[in-house]
Amino acid sequence: MSSAAIFPAHPENILKGLGKLWTSLGQEESHQGKPTVMRACAMTLIVATDEPDCGYYASQTISELMREHPSRGIVLAIDKSAENSLEARVLAQCWKPFGKAQQICCEQIEILSSPDHWPNVGPTLVGLTVADLPVIFWCRHKGALKSSATEEQNAGLEVILDLSSKVIIDTAGEETACSFALISRLRREGRVLADLEWARLTFWREPFAQIFDNHARTNKFSNFHTIEILHTDDKVTPSAAYAAGWFASLSTAKINVSSTKGFGPGLHAIRMISDEESITFERTGPECARLSSSTGRQRSYSYAEPTLYSLLHQELSILGDDRSFNAAFSRAGEFVR
Amino acid sequence: MSVAAFPPTEDNVLQDPLRFERRVPPCAIVIFGASGDLSKRKLLPSLYRLFFEGRISTEFAVIGSSRTPMSDDQFRERMRESVSKFLEDAPFDESVWRSFAQCLFYVPGDLSKPESYDDIRNKLDQVEKSHQTAGNVLFYLSTQPSYYAEAIKALGAHGLTEGNGWRRVIIEKPFGHDLESARKLNVEIHKVLDESAVYRIDHYLGKETVQNILAFRFGNGIFEPLWNRRYISFIQITAAESIGVEGRGGYYQEAGALRDMIQNHLSQVMATVAMEPPSVFDADNVRDERAKLLRSVRVMKPEDVPKYAVAGQYGPAKVGGQDLPGFRQEPSVSPDAQTDTYAAVTFFIDNWRWAGVPIYIRSGKRMPKRVTDIAIQFHAPPLGLFTQQTKSGLREARPNLLVLRIQPEEGISLRFLSKSPGSGMRVRPVSMDFNYGSSFGERSPTAYETLLLDAMNGDPTLYTRQDMVEASWQIVQPILDVWAQTRFDFPNYPAGSWGPKASDEMLARQGHVWRIP
Repeated sequence: MSSAAIFPAHPENILKGLGKLWTSLGQEESHQGKPTVMRACAMTLIVATDEPDCGYYASQTISELMREHPSRGIVLAIDKSAENSLEARVLAQCWKPFGKAQQICCEQIEILSSPDHWPNVGPTLVGLTVADLPVIFWCRHKGALKSSATEEQNAGLEVILDLSSKVIIDTAGEETACSFALISRLRREGRVLADLEWARLTFWREPFAQIFDNHARTNKFSNFHTIEILHTDDKVTPSAAYAAGWFASLSTAKINVSSTKGFGPGLHAIRMISDEESITFERTGPECARLSSSTGRQRSYSYAEPTLYSLLHQELSILGDDRSFNAAFSRAGEFVR
Repeated sequence: MSVAAFPPTEDNVLQDPLRFERRVPPCAIVIFGASGDLSKRKLLPSLYRLFFEGRISTEFAVIGSSRTPMSDDQFRERMRESVSKFLEDAPFDESVWRSFAQCLFYVPGDLSKPESYDDIRNKLDQVEKSHQTAGNVLFYLSTQPSYYAEAIKALGAHGLTEGNGWRRVIIEKPFGHDLESARKLNVEIHKVLDESAVYRIDHYLGKETVQNILAFRFGNGIFEPLWNRRYISFIQITAAESIGVEGRGGYYQEAGALRDMIQNHLSQVMATVAMEPPSVFDADNVRDERAKLLRSVRVMKPEDVPKYAVAGQYGPAKVGGQDLPGFRQEPSVSPDAQTDTYAAVTFFIDNWRWAGVPIYIRSGKRMPKRVTDIAIQFHAPPLGLFTQQTKSGLREARPNLLVLRIQPEEGISLRFLSKSPGSGMRVRPVSMDFNYGSSFGERSPTAYETLLLDAMNGDPTLYTRQDMVEASWQIVQPILDVWAQTRFDFPNYPAGSWGPKASDEMLARQGHVWRIP
């Protein structure tokens, strides 16, 4: 990681800083006598965060993602302890593939803002996005997403939302009804929205889809009259509601969502029941899961808690509308109690 | 590949193509030659990997068959050792293996004995019920090529090519040892199977970067207009191996580089690089264009063979402090073997796009390094404005070169000229690089994973069709015929070098030189 000095966060300063950064990397390169740095960018990835680490974790995640999704990363950290300041620094995240001489680098801009500068951040960002490429906004600013957000927070958020071709939030651990109200509002405003909690469900949904790929299967999906969704939390979590919403959008089966003791967090098991057969996909340990049928067949899966990196990788691969998510969300609210 | 041979998404409302891996229908795979090297090193590790990733349906079974007597459990244990050893770039998970192993079965048998096929049919009936494989069966002939015709005939005679679901047969290379034997084999196969059920595997076509050639050419608008004789001076295709015959001396002595690499892998790569754009990206259209290209390759007259083809054989040498044996000193190789361990050929494609553009293909063993790439050399600008004054005199600026790297560093690079910083108009070549591995940090599937999935999905785009095989034999047959009548003064290149001098001379006659990859 190469970094430069901290300076006031005006777009022109930042762009000049980036220019200098690449020039200095190029000079390092020319000492070697052959090209050793490659600049890569496929999108602008903006992360806004109000976490106390001032965006450190977000920066790390962008760095991990750069192999599959090279971007101009802009990490905007809103820090209460930073008094009346709006400053920036630029840096390059680089990695060198094993056995290669050439480094691959992505540029990153880190902006530290005090809460009162929120409304000034938007205009700064407008000048910093990469032309002709998508702008993805990963919002980790919990305060700005809440209904109790201040006017400044709302104004700051609005500008970034307007810049973005896709907005990514994460409702894990959040109160489901409030989260769904937020999502509804953003969808009404016409935003293309993704929730990492929905991405966590891919592991659960895919094995069920595979089962019904078999055309020779006599017990069809429509024969299953009951679907049970078991989660490990006291209240219905967004993931349990999404799972229920997904099935509800595809079938007329009776869907029960209930809490159980088991491996969590989040979902523990999904069971589909027909007159002839029941199929269960459940966590059987911290690192394993099993798909089994009452007919006696079963199959083990390796399970790993999805990392933010893997969830974002999934979402950054989908730039357009996600029809399955939209359909599931439109029914998920029915299961929120 | 993208051909939707399997039912479209609408058939299964649970499918989510944006997020789920490609779907594979239920099926049983019967591997003949299951105790062989290919099964251990490639097929079973690839199938396990697909299973681990959840890309293979839960309704799936593998039936291995070979002469070695083994029980199901012994076969599973043997495959467990192989998979954990040869799994490329992927973890081995004990609990997933246990599930996978439940899908493995073994039927000992001899392809020449009718009862072996009855045993296989019985096992297939059994797994169709127990594993709900829907009657779909993929046969994989990983046996000695001399058994292909006999095995397929027997499959037909025992009713194994028909059933409740689809039946397909994958045939490993070599597909024939010359044009005549390839034709005969096709005739025998077609007595039993329709061409649509025959999957002749060429693992080179399954490599991600070979597939990427199609994406590069036909997914971008800026290269295709330059892709012709007007802008391209010549093309070089190199497939070099640093190793020798590695215990396969007996086989290789009969095959040689021309048969082993150029007739199949590299002629298919040439077809991929030079074919016309298909009107639709599906199996038939893509293969039609490949076949058409191969049929356009000029077939050499015998008297032209010495001018356009060079055979070589490595001799002993000391490389990196190590004494390397010559080919004739390898185990199971005759001390006066006339085998070509190196072959270089100049092909010409007689169509409007490529007329007059030489396509140089070379392949050899015991070369300085392992590399496969395709170099497309563009013409120099019509007026050399930027010749350089150097100590040794006036040097013409080097024109554009596009390199498509197949292995080991998969990617694409374009060399072009740029002004050196500072006063004066001095130019130097710079390279614009795309690195496949670093641009897509994800693990790429191996060629066998890709091709097995394609066969299960009924997508033959990356498999060679009868007419492609025959056309590629057609273009090498005159060379084989002339070489069979020639007494070569072998060895003619030392191990660890880029091949015989005659190969450089072949290019020099056209005013070209081999690039060093």
